[in-house]
Amino acid sequence: MNIHLERGSGIPLYRQIVRQVREMILAGTLPPGFHLPPERRLAEALGVTRTTVINAYEELKDEGFATAHVGRGTIVLSPRHPSTIADTSHVMAWNRLFREETARPPDPLLRDLLDLTTKEGIISFAVGVPSRDLIPLSLFKNTVNRLLDEAGAETLHHSPTEGHPPLRESLSRWLTARGIRCSQDEVLVLSGSQQGLHLVARLLVHPGDTVIVEEPSYFGGLEALRRAGARMIGIPVDDQGMRVDLLEAILERHRPKLIYTLPTFQNPSGMEMSLERRNKLLALASARGVPVLEEDPYSELRYDGSPIPSLKALDTTGVVLYLATSSKILFPGLRIGWLVAPKPVIRQCTLLKQSEDLHTNTLGQFVLDRLFREGHVEQHLDKLRSVYRKNRDLMEAALQKHAPEGMTWSRPRGGFYFWCSLPDGVNRTQLLASAAAKRIAFLPGHACFVEETGRFYIRLNFSAPSPSDIPEGVERLTQAIREAIAERRPQRDRLVPMRPIV
Amino acid sequence: MENYFAERMNILRASDIREILKITQRPEVISFAGGLPAPEFFPSREIAEVACRVLEREGTRALQYSTTEGHAPLRAQIAARMNAKCGTQLSPDEILMTTGSQQGLDLIGKIFLDRDDVVVCESPTYLGAVMAFNTFRPRWIEIPTDENGMDVRALETALGRERNVKLIYVVPNFQNPSGRTWSLERRKELLALAVRHDIPVVEDNPYGELRFAGEPIPAIQSMDTTGMVISLGTLSKIFCPGLRVGWIAARRRFLDKLVIVKQGADLHSSTFDQMVASEYLASYSIDENIRRILVAYRARRDVMVKALELEMPEGVRFSRPKGGLFLWVELPEGIDARELLPRCLKRDVAFVPGGSFFPARNRDNTLRLNFSNMPEDRIVEGIRRLSAVLREMMAEHSRHHDIAPETTTAM
Repeated sequence: MNIHLERGSGIPLYRQIVRQVREMILAGTLPPGFHLPPERRLAEALGVTRTTVINAYEELKDEGFATAHVGRGTIVLSPRHPSTIADTSHVMAWNRLFREETARPPDPLLRDLLDLTTKEGIISFAVGVPSRDLIPLSLFKNTVNRLLDEAGAETLHHSPTEGHPPLRESLSRWLTARGIRCSQDEVLVLSGSQQGLHLVARLLVHPGDTVIVEEPSYFGGLEALRRAGARMIGIPVDDQGMRVDLLEAILERHRPKLIYTLPTFQNPSGMEMSLERRNKLLALASARGVPVLEEDPYSELRYDGSPIPSLKALDTTGVVLYLATSSKILFPGLRIGWLVAPKPVIRQCTLLKQSEDLHTNTLGQFVLDRLFREGHVEQHLDKLRSVYRKNRDLMEAALQKHAPEGMTWSRPRGGFYFWCSLPDGVNRTQLLASAAAKRIAFLPGHACFVEETGRFYIRLNFSAPSPSDIPEGVERLTQAIREAIAERRPQRDRLVPMRPIV
Repeated sequence: MENYFAERMNILRASDIREILKITQRPEVISFAGGLPAPEFFPSREIAEVACRVLEREGTRALQYSTTEGHAPLRAQIAARMNAKCGTQLSPDEILMTTGSQQGLDLIGKIFLDRDDVVVCESPTYLGAVMAFNTFRPRWIEIPTDENGMDVRALETALGRERNVKLIYVVPNFQNPSGRTWSLERRKELLALAVRHDIPVVEDNPYGELRFAGEPIPAIQSMDTTGMVISLGTLSKIFCPGLRVGWIAARRRFLDKLVIVKQGADLHSSTFDQMVASEYLASYSIDENIRRILVAYRARRDVMVKALELEMPEGVRFSRPKGGLFLWVELPEGIDARELLPRCLKRDVAFVPGGSFFPARNRDNTLRLNFSNMPEDRIVEGIRRLSAVLREMMAEHSRHHDIAPETTTAM
């Protein structure tokens, strides 16, 4: 092995070693299986420190050019991607450059689900989107036309990071009417509530910090927290919402940085936290000074019963950060959500938001403000509630008619979802395959848990499918479930985690 | 609850620009502070028309969730336009649409920068990039930069010395704040060095299309065969900024990572905004719109340069940019633009002190003037006031220096 080092060339010595060894491997001079010299010997031969050689070998390993076995030294591998190497004269050490957290493969679920919304011919209960027919298109069109006419260039210009001031005012009025007394300074307009999850996680969570979440919970929220490096502890949800009775001991033992909850018509379980538990949760969180992130996309979509105040409305100590969105009730594609929080939090989130995207799109904010001001939102909600209530009832009737024995659910009083527990012995792989063959999609429940669970759950959305598709879809789905029970496999297969193929 | 914020937040503070912009919202203020395009050139009428057409044709799809990578036809249009204008050879799947190019910077920071990693930049450099990258707590190394770009010798020395350089960040066309444009030679030398050292180059190009004279110089990305240049673009300066339409152009191995972090940051950029931009590019000549902008900006630059030549006291130097939005002023040593600003604000004139544009050191005798956003008569008036205040301050400064020795003796 012939290596020449140029001292004073400005290129670190270990990089020179990497490059030359890499070239020899690519040229075939060093064949796969070749034992690279022991670190100490090469260091002596080249007159460099052992650390230099170790760094060089580490990088070669990162790039997939070599591997190390205890007792056998460092061995050359065959280049993994000859085609990509052939089309560039130069091989970049990407893995050296990427951040640690980026190197972790993501859960592709969210992306696959978004992708699914564009596919035709499939009955999908998988995605949590509003019905296509209920997006108020002509209202939007008329408002845009009017705005461009009246306000012109202002609607196309930069706007403040905190949000278009009239929209912040409209939101604070809207929220105040719902018991959330806030000034417009306590409202930050977001590029969708996903941005809020991300900003709050960036703001409050250090890698390794503990965060309390519900189990099950919204997978996008779990993913945002996971990305921030949170260690998550799940608290089960029952028909009264989060098991707050378990919280005190966990707060004591783990000193979490944040409690993340969707108390109203939770995604995915559809459950609603009782007033009593809400008060208990707030008392515990305030006493310990642990912030509560309340995500509330669905509370306007109530089909039965009377409203329970949001945590934010009940909060007297300023411990709740409240996140909501226009996506589930108006226009998901506009990407507009909002955060309500004490001013110090708003201030810091604003600075972060400014560095992340300057501000949310201006025209969309103008439109939303007009719709709030002119009373269209309230009107539109009435319409949504009446259609979605019917959809829910249709889905429940279909489930009652077709569900196999052992499949259970409870009827959601609002929101978008049925959360179903499947009978024992359903084979997950088989179910996904059967469902795909029957052109029916749903969300496998495991994505909504911090860790793999024994039981098999699925989430069924009833807002997006057309009413005529709901009975048909449920029938196909339950057939697929029956097939997956019939095709029972050995017990151990059931526990193999897998990625959904939706 | 301030003590709950993660440690990285302590370094964030309201930037100078942000504070200044608040003041400049008063209509009587002559503002050279913003970096804003002039709203009279937003194609509002055309946008109203294409918005209507998009909603007719696409229906609720224009308002529904869409993919993280962005609206496919728009990605194809952007790739084609870059290939025509910048000499690149990009395919549509090498474009990721972002919520403005600020998001592009943030996403790049998210995939590359850990604490204490080094970012190499021009001196001065773009404040928005400093802001975006600083949340990841890197170390900055500023490379001396002249009229033709970075001093590549100094760059070579720095790359040889520093172990964990992660990015080289440059704005090679009509840079914000200096207005400088890199020569072809320097671009080639930068690329060669970056390739030799395996360091990705972030080529931020918001102003390249705003050239008043001469031929465009090929983008660094167009000369790159290794795929290590990542470029950022935006429609903010040539279309309108309120529809948040920016993009990152890079090889798939970068883009795949960027898509993942973008999904976590905001799922996707506004579907409607992207469709409107796409429809506009398909139905109208954006080049025609750019020509209209250029006529006005060129005239405004001329007026500002002339006013500066006429009014500025001895010892003040300023650039004569061939494009973009900004002009860069160097005051005599010892004159602090941060002290000049409040005095100017009292006379209703605003600018940005240059110190903020140097992440690693302070050069407080510099300032940035935006010439694109004020009508010509107000530019003349504003420069007149600015010069008058500056003269006063310089006179005081020299008086202070004259008497300084006596004060010392008296002590």
